[in-house]
Amino acid sequence: MKPFTYIAPGSVKEAVAALHENGGTARVLAGGTDLLLEWRRPGVRMPAVVVDISRIESLRRISLEGPDILLGPLATHGELMRSGVIRSGAAILASAASTIGSPQIRNRGTIGGNIMNGAPCADTVPPLIALGATVTLSSADGTRECHLSGFFNKPYATIATGEELLTQVRFPALLPGTKASFVKLARRNALSISRLSVAAVVSVDDSGLITDARIVPGAAHSVWKRTMEAENLLIGKAPSATLFAEAGRVVSAVVIKETGRRWSTEYKEPVIAALVRRTLEKCFTDNDGHPS
Amino acid sequence: MDPDKQTIIGSPERRVDAWGKVTGTAKFAADYSLPHQLYGKVLRSKHPHARIVSINTGNAAKLRGVEAVLTAGDIPGSRKFGVVVKNQEILAGEKVRYLGDGVALVAARSAEIAEEALRLIDVVYEALPVVSDPEAAMWEGAPRIHPEGNVFVHHKVRKGDIEKGFAESDFVIQRRFRTQFIEHCAIETEAVLAEPAEHGGVKIVGSIQNLFSSRRSVAAALNLDLNQVQLIQATLGGSFGGKDEVMTSMCCRAALLARATGRPVKMVNTREESMLESYKRHPYAMYYRWGAKNDGTITAMEIRCIADGGAYASMSPFVTWRSVVQATGPYACENVRTDVYAVYTNNNYTGAMRGFGSPQVNFAIESMMDELAERAGMNPLEIRIRNCFRRGSVTATGQKLDHVVSLQEVLEKAAGEIGFEEKWKRYRAATEGTHRRGVGLACSYRGVSLGAEGADAAEAAVSVQTDGSVIVSSGITDMGQGAGTQMSQIVAGVFGIPLGRVRFLNTDTSRVADSGPTVASRGTITGGAAAKNAAEVVRATLLGVAGEMSGISPRDLEMAEGYVVRTADRSRLASFAEVAAECFEKGRPMHGIGWHRSPKTTWDEATGQGDAYFTFVYGANAAEVVVDTETGKVDVEDFVSVHDVGRAINRDAVRGQMIGGVAMGLGYGLLEEFVLEEGIPAQHNFDEYLIPTSMDVPPVKTVIVENEDPAGPFGAKSVGEPANEIAAPAIVNAIFNATGKRITELPADLERVRLGHALRRPGPRGSALKETEQSLPDLSCKIRPAER
Ligand SMILES: Cc1cc2nc3c(=O)[nH]c(=O)nc-3n(C[C@H](O)[C@H](O)[C@H](O)COP(=O)(O)OP(=O)(O)OC[C@H]3O[C@@H](n4cnc5c(N)ncnc54)[C@H](O)[C@@H]3O)c2cc1C
Repeated sequence: MKPFTYIAPGSVKEAVAALHENGGTARVLAGGTDLLLEWRRPGVRMPAVVVDISRIESLRRISLEGPDILLGPLATHGELMRSGVIRSGAAILASAASTIGSPQIRNRGTIGGNIMNGAPCADTVPPLIALGATVTLSSADGTRECHLSGFFNKPYATIATGEELLTQVRFPALLPGTKASFVKLARRNALSISRLSVAAVVSVDDSGLITDARIVPGAAHSVWKRTMEAENLLIGKAPSATLFAEAGRVVSAVVIKETGRRWSTEYKEPVIAALVRRTLEKCFTDNDGHPS
Repeated sequence: MDPDKQTIIGSPERRVDAWGKVTGTAKFAADYSLPHQLYGKVLRSKHPHARIVSINTGNAAKLRGVEAVLTAGDIPGSRKFGVVVKNQEILAGEKVRYLGDGVALVAARSAEIAEEALRLIDVVYEALPVVSDPEAAMWEGAPRIHPEGNVFVHHKVRKGDIEKGFAESDFVIQRRFRTQFIEHCAIETEAVLAEPAEHGGVKIVGSIQNLFSSRRSVAAALNLDLNQVQLIQATLGGSFGGKDEVMTSMCCRAALLARATGRPVKMVNTREESMLESYKRHPYAMYYRWGAKNDGTITAMEIRCIADGGAYASMSPFVTWRSVVQATGPYACENVRTDVYAVYTNNNYTGAMRGFGSPQVNFAIESMMDELAERAGMNPLEIRIRNCFRRGSVTATGQKLDHVVSLQEVLEKAAGEIGFEEKWKRYRAATEGTHRRGVGLACSYRGVSLGAEGADAAEAAVSVQTDGSVIVSSGITDMGQGAGTQMSQIVAGVFGIPLGRVRFLNTDTSRVADSGPTVASRGTITGGAAAKNAAEVVRATLLGVAGEMSGISPRDLEMAEGYVVRTADRSRLASFAEVAAECFEKGRPMHGIGWHRSPKTTWDEATGQGDAYFTFVYGANAAEVVVDTETGKVDVEDFVSVHDVGRAINRDAVRGQMIGGVAMGLGYGLLEEFVLEEGIPAQHNFDEYLIPTSMDVPPVKTVIVENEDPAGPFGAKSVGEPANEIAAPAIVNAIFNATGKRITELPADLERVRLGHALRRPGPRGSALKETEQSLPDLSCKIRPAER
C-alpha cells in the first residue's frame, strides 16, 4: 500500500465534488472489505486520493416509501439481514446478506460496495436483479437512475464513471403472496464466496398458476442476467417438481450456451440445474420467510 | 508413594501462556522492535526453474533509505543449509529451483523503501524446463533439479515373501490414492529481529520452531562459533511443523543484513510471501495392492509411494521414513513389500507438518481397509478388529510390540460413542434423497518421537527461587501446542506446588542445551521427562534440607499441596517456600539440570527391519457426515476422537490437541489444497486457500484412553500428531458409507464428490493461455479481481 490523500466528506455534495476534482484518480471507500484486499495485490495501481464516504449518515438508510424500498449504499449486510423493512418486504435480500462472509464482514461490508465492486459472486446482486432494482448514480453533474440488470459491463466493471457515486438502491417491496428464495452453494459454511447461487422471485394467481417469474443465477454468467427462457417456461403453469427440474435444465443450458463447454462445465451443468430446482422448490416451502 | 497421585498431574489446569495471550501481553516475534532498526525484504524468483544469468543491484543500492543490498556472493560462510541434505541456499547463486527462492536481500529504513528497492533489482534469468509432476520427475531424462538426480530418497520395507502372499490370497484389491500440498496456516507468519551482538556475533529473537538447527546454519553462514549466535524464541503464534527451514533461511538472511549494516534488522513475511516461500506437507501418490482371504485376513501388502519433495530435501528423508514404517497401518500381514520415494520437483519444497508422513499413508490404508471390509462382507469395525495389532504382534518392520496395544479398545470406544454399527448398516441401505448420511471409521498406530531418525535427547533446567517460585526452561519449545504447560505441570507435580508458582521460559540457545528439534510429538514425552528429572534433582536437595529442619529422615517425607509433609500422618512440616529459603541459607544448589535420552531404536536401511520406535500410540476416529449428492457438499455433523495418550498430564491440553487435530484433519479431508500449476502457486492468501471455519467443524467428542507407558513421564506418551492423522480417512469412509462412492484423491471437495474426480484446467497455464483464461467468465469467482 502506498500513501494517498484521504478525504472524508460529510455530505454527498462534498463527496461528488471531491470525485470531480480528482478526475479518475480517486477511489470511493465504503466498508473497505473489497478495496483493502485489492490494495494488497502486488503491482496494483494505488489511487492518489481516497474518498471515504462512510461518515455520510444520509447514505445509511433502509426505508419503505410507498410501494418501494429504498436503500442507502452504506447499509451493511448485517443491517439488511436484521432490518424489519427488508425481512418483511424483501426477505430474499436479508437471506442473501446473511450468507456473506462472517459477522465481522457483514458489519463492515456495504450493499453499495458489493454492487460497485461488481464481482460475479457478489451475493446481493442476483436477488436485487430478481427484485427489479434500480440504482441512482450521483455526480457533480447531477443524478441518473439505471436498472441494475443493465448496470454491469463485465466482471468488476459497471457503467458508472469514476466520478459517480452510488447513492441509492430502489426496488418494489414484494407483495404478499409473491414467493422468493435465494440459494447459495459455497465450499464451506462461513467466509465463503459463492461457487454458484440462484435467486428466484415467483408470483402465483388465485388458482395457483405462476403469473410471473424471475430467475437470476449468480457466479454463473460474466454479467448477471435473468434467464427469460426458464421464466417463460414457468409462466402460466402450476408449480411442480417436474416443472422446476425442467426450469433448472433450461437455466443450465442457457449458461453453458453463453460460456461454451469448458473444463468446468461437467460440474456446473448438473449443479446449476439442481440449484435452480431447489430455489424454486424453496419458494414454495420456506419462501425465505415471506407470508404466502 | 507415587507423588503424582494426589497432585496436579492430569488436572485440566489453565495453560501457563493463557493469560498473556488473551490479554495481549504475550509478545510475538513481530512485536519486537529496536531503535534504529532496519526492515529486511527478499527478492524472490520470477521462475520456478531458471539459471541466473546476472543480478544488477546498483539502482536499488542507490535508493535513498536503502542500507544494504546483498546477493549470494556476499555470504561470508556457508551458503547452503539443510538438516539432512545440505542443498538449500540462503540466497540462490546460480540457479533458482522454485518460485519461493530468494535471490537478493534489501535492508532499508522502512518496509516500503525495501519493497521499492526490490523492484529496482534487475535479475536476468535463463528459464529452464519446469518439472512439476513428481512421477514424471522420476523418468530417465527428466530435467534435473539438483546435479545428483531427482530421486533422492528410497526407503524400503521387506518382510516375508510377497509372491507367496499374493498366491495365497483369494482376491486382490488395488487402488491408487493421491494427496495434496497442504499449507500449515499458523496464524502468525514468519518473523525475526536480528541484532549485532555486544561482543561480536548476533542475537536473534524470532518465531522459530527448531532453534538449534537454525542456529547452526546462522553460525555457518556468518563464520561464527555457536556461542556467538544466540537465538531466543518469542512466544510463537503456531507452527504445526512449519517454522523450521523457512525460519532458518529468514534467520540467516536477517543476520547477514544485520552484519552488513551493523544495525538491527527486522523481517516479517506477509501472508502472501509466507504462502509463496514456505514449505508444505508432501503430496503423495500411493499405489496400494493387497491380497486377502475371503475371511478378511490380509496375506500380502505391496505398497509404493512417491512423495513430491519439491525443490529441496528439507525433512523429506525423515518424513518418508515414517511413512515407510507405518505404511501398512496397524494390521498384521506376513508378506510386505513397501517402497517410498521422495523426488525433487520445481514445486514448493515440502517438509515437516503435523503428522509427518502419516496423514498421507493413513488415508490410503484406512480407505483400503474399508474396501477390504466391502469385499470380505464385513463391517469396517469387524475388519479392523480382526486384523489389528495386539500386544505381542510383530509389525511390518519386524518390531514386537511389547506394551499395551489398545487398538481394539480405541476402535470400540469410537464406534460405540457414535453408534457406528447400527448407523453404518442403516445408512448403507438408504439410497433415496439428495442428502445422504454416512458414518466412517479410521484408526492408526504411530511411532512416538523421532525413532531411528537420530539421537533423541533433551534438556530441561529447573530453578527454585528463595520464595518458593520456580523457573523451568528447556530446549524443547512451546509453539502454542502447550509443551511449556506440560513441562511446568510435571515440575509442579514433582514439587507438589500449584502451577501458578511455576514459570516457563521460552527457549534461548545460549542458556539451555541443544535438545534436538521440537517435532514428532516428543515435547511431553522427551521434554517432560527431562523436566521431571531436573525437578527430582532439586526435590532431593529440598527434602534433604527439610529433613535437617525437622529431624525426620527425607525418606519419610514428601511434597504435597505446597508443603513438605510427613508421609505417615500427612502432617505439614514446612511450606515449600520455607524449605526453599532454608536451602538458600544453607548454600545448597536450588538449580537442577535434567537430561532425558529416549530408549534405543534400530533400523536396517537395506531391509527396512528394526525396532523403529521405542513405543507407539493408538487412536481411532469416527465421523458422521451428510453428503449433498447433487452438489458434492459434505457436512461433518458428528465426530468422535479417541486416543490412547499413555497418561494425560493436562486433560484440557489433550482435549485441545484432539479437537484442533480433527479440525485440521477435516480441512485435509474436505477443503484444503495448495494448487501449483507448473510450479506456480494458484493461491496467495486465505481467500483462496480455504481452511475450515468454526461453522464447518462439528462439536468433537473426545475420549482420552490412558494406558500408562513406562517410556514416558508419569506414563505419558503423545497426542499432537496422532490427533491430526486419521480425521480425513474417517470422513472419506463416511462419504463412502453415504454414497457408495470412494474418494481416492484429497480433498473430497465439491467437484470430487459430485464427479468422482477433480476439475482440471486443460494444458499448462502458459502465459499466452493465461490472458484468455482470465478474460473468460467462468473462472472460479474471486472476491478480488484476478491478478495480471
Ligand atoms: C473475508 C471476506 C469475505 C467475503 N465474503 C463475501 C461473500 O460471501 N459474498 C459477497 O458477495 N461478498 C463477500 N465479500 C466481499 C465484500 O465484503 C462485499 O463485496 C462488500 O459488500 C463490499 O462492501 P464494502 O463497503 O466493504 O466495499 P469497499 O471495499 O469499500 O468498496 C468496494 C468497491 O466499491 C466501490 N464503492 C463502494 N461504495 C461505493 C459507492 N457508494 N459509490 C461508488 N463506488 C463505491 C469502491 O470504490 C470499491 O471499488 C467478502 C469479503 C471479505 C474480505
